[in-house]
Amino acid sequence: MAHDDCSRGPRGAACKRTRERKGSIMTFMNVSSMRRFGQKLLGATMLSLLALSPSLADEMSLYGPAAENAVSGGRLNMGLLLEPPGFDPFHQAADARIRLSVLVYQGLFYEGANGQAIPLLAEGFEVSEDGLVYTIRLRQGVKFHTGGDMTAADVAYSYNYIRNPDNGSPGAGDFSMVSNVEVVDDSTVRFTLTNKNSSLPMTLGNKYGAVVPAGYFDDESAKNRINAESVGTGPFKLVEFVPNSHVALERNEDYWEAGVPYLDAIDFSILPNSASMLVALQNKRIDLVPLSRPQDVQQVSSVAGLNIERWPSLAQTAIDLGSELEQLSDVRVRQAISLAVDKNEILKASVGEYGTVLGTMVSGMQESWGLPLDQVPMQGPDIEKAKALMAEAGYADGFTMTLTTINGFDWMDPASVTLQEQLAQIGITLDIQRVDLGVWVNNFRSSQMGFTFNDWAAQPDPNLLFYRHFHKKPDGADFRNWNNDEASALLDEGRAEADPAKRRDIYNRFQTVLADTVPTIMLYSPDHVTVRSDKVQNFTQHPTGWYFGLARTFLAE
Amino acid sequence: MGSYLLKRLFASLLTAVLASILVFLLVRMVPGDVVAQMMGQAGGENAAGALREFFGLDQPIYMQYLTWITNVLQGNLGNSWTRGLPVTDMIGPAFLVTLEIAILTLAVATLVGVPLGILAGIYENRPLDTAIQTFNILGLAAPVFWVGLMLLVGVSAVIGWSPPLRFVPITRSLSDNLSILILPIASLGLLQAAAYSQFVRQNVVSALNQEYVRTAIAKGVPIRVVFFKHILRNVLIPIITFMGLILIQILGGTVIIESLFALPGLGRLLLTAIETRDYPVLQGALLIVVVSAMVVNLVVDLTYRLIDPRVRVA
Repeated sequence: MAHDDCSRGPRGAACKRTRERKGSIMTFMNVSSMRRFGQKLLGATMLSLLALSPSLADEMSLYGPAAENAVSGGRLNMGLLLEPPGFDPFHQAADARIRLSVLVYQGLFYEGANGQAIPLLAEGFEVSEDGLVYTIRLRQGVKFHTGGDMTAADVAYSYNYIRNPDNGSPGAGDFSMVSNVEVVDDSTVRFTLTNKNSSLPMTLGNKYGAVVPAGYFDDESAKNRINAESVGTGPFKLVEFVPNSHVALERNEDYWEAGVPYLDAIDFSILPNSASMLVALQNKRIDLVPLSRPQDVQQVSSVAGLNIERWPSLAQTAIDLGSELEQLSDVRVRQAISLAVDKNEILKASVGEYGTVLGTMVSGMQESWGLPLDQVPMQGPDIEKAKALMAEAGYADGFTMTLTTINGFDWMDPASVTLQEQLAQIGITLDIQRVDLGVWVNNFRSSQMGFTFNDWAAQPDPNLLFYRHFHKKPDGADFRNWNNDEASALLDEGRAEADPAKRRDIYNRFQTVLADTVPTIMLYSPDHVTVRSDKVQNFTQHPTGWYFGLARTFLAE
Repeated sequence: MGSYLLKRLFASLLTAVLASILVFLLVRMVPGDVVAQMMGQAGGENAAGALREFFGLDQPIYMQYLTWITNVLQGNLGNSWTRGLPVTDMIGPAFLVTLEIAILTLAVATLVGVPLGILAGIYENRPLDTAIQTFNILGLAAPVFWVGLMLLVGVSAVIGWSPPLRFVPITRSLSDNLSILILPIASLGLLQAAAYSQFVRQNVVSALNQEYVRTAIAKGVPIRVVFFKHILRNVLIPIITFMGLILIQILGGTVIIESLFALPGLGRLLLTAIETRDYPVLQGALLIVVVSAMVVNLVVDLTYRLIDPRVRVA
């Protein structure tokens, strides 16, 4: 895979860091297994799966690698092409919100890049033998931006709030297996589950919800105020969010981790036009910007003082095949489409070289959780086999179908034309229909997506990636009407399994079913591409696309 | 005059009420709502239902309208659904940005366009007219996006400068404010000047061909007097009409220029509100656009009455 090649260009630095992170995770796993062994010897009734000391947690380099020779101070100007539609971690699911809010709000765990949940506001935890009770020790000395100390009551309140569907959080579904969150003592909380769920720590991460002061939402106006005030525990405080203009963050002086963050302040300037963004970059109005269109990246590639870096991603572009369509309800038609698709060609047309072709796993997790690419069934292009399957299904003469694409997703335009040509080879005529995101989301949520492009991402955990999207209703949402018993059973098994090796085997089997019966065709993971000026140091881009790395970034003098 | 004003105000009020109903229904006809936008591919139906209830979207449409319009009449436009801020706090600053853009654009367009149009009209079919018409046609044909981008990229390439990204209100610093607005105003102003100049030229040409003007010139009235007393007074009404049109057009939002130059004006506010289905902001902003268009029209009409007695009689 392209991103494993650490010898080339600026990508090399990213690869090196990724390797370093992997190294530290290995160390962590060894320590963890040793502790488990020790506890068994002592005959303890509680099984400790992950009991980290704070010092070890720090070595795990939360938010990115620790900086040597870091300089404190300075104001970073970061450009954003997409404005966050709010700042509320409890009720707003948009990725553009999460990217920024992770700097202000924190959950109990941090999404370690390679799929490990690393204690953040937690200090460590223990799991009961039946796997249903998680006792979580909390980090001490954590203060809210509002000044108060964080206690177990705040943690229990926050997670009880988000898991209650009546409070309207898009994250509530992820917490449906939690039956109770209670305070044990001032620095300990207990989560009780209805079913075993090895993803619980990752679910207690930073995507939905966060720890806020107990009772915060008792006042109805808090749902409005949270977009404008700062009530988290994160390394930065929200100072100002002016619509269509900027988001200003400043350093949290009371942050629990000594010495960080390095930056005094971050100004996110919202500039929705990429041509203007490039001019601002060249004139040093912007120090750092994520870019997604290859043509934009190329325009600044030769500008002195600017560095282009590529980072692996947990995002995926995909073709979804809704079985509510008559033709797509036949698995042979779906398989034929999968065989007719040339993912490399679509990648080239969409983002040029800035991406990685996928099998059944996003590129950021391919190594940790992906079915090896040479074992993924139904991968094309194999037009002859595809035609044979079409004939077998009774569609030797082909048929006409609508491909839905979404306004504002640049890659979908070139990809749709390329796909149109590819499927024409097996007799499928595509009518391309572009719809507004709101329309698309409505179709998607009501499981009437038809044949469509999709662009989505998840936390670095296979259960969080697959379960909701692909498990049968009512436990999952099965947006694509796949209704696959075998896959659902494997998803249940994978969620309950705590042993990493067994878990991996289960998800390999799931991915085989997924690729073989084709409810979706994962195309490629677009790289996260960032452009930074020379003075921006130690910035890393987390594979989720969230800007955790800014908590470790500093400005060279 | 008093009864005329009353009639006009009543008509305006009726228009505003009808416009508010139309706006209210139109924004709800766009598929997808704020809850779908907030939830995206996440979340269950229970949570979505709870959010719909919070926003009052579970109520019948007429109830939603009555609640909204009652609040509007009390001066309360509600809170933004995605930002939590009071809508008035969002629209106010955005409207001031757009108003400043509109006034400055109008000033540039008038100061450049009107003299050019008069000159072109007076020197009809002479080289000066051809030169001015060339400018006019280029200005009419060039898209504002292209002109703005060329200015931005051109200035950056030549002097290595681009406007600051954070808007500063004129009340805080005139120089900072103008350094941000100079390129967008130049782009909009030049394009509007071209249209304005072409329009004024046609009116001057037609006034010059009027018999009373020819008579006055034949009678030996000094050309200066003919110009100010007969030509200018006659083209004044179209000039003011055009001013009103420019104002209304820019007050309605200049989303392209605002996006290009990172200006937090009404156009971008509207666009973002449409994208996120933030109905309170969308309704509030559209209402402001409608009301300001009506105010401009009213002022234009009243000005007619001041400068042309015939309108008063009619």
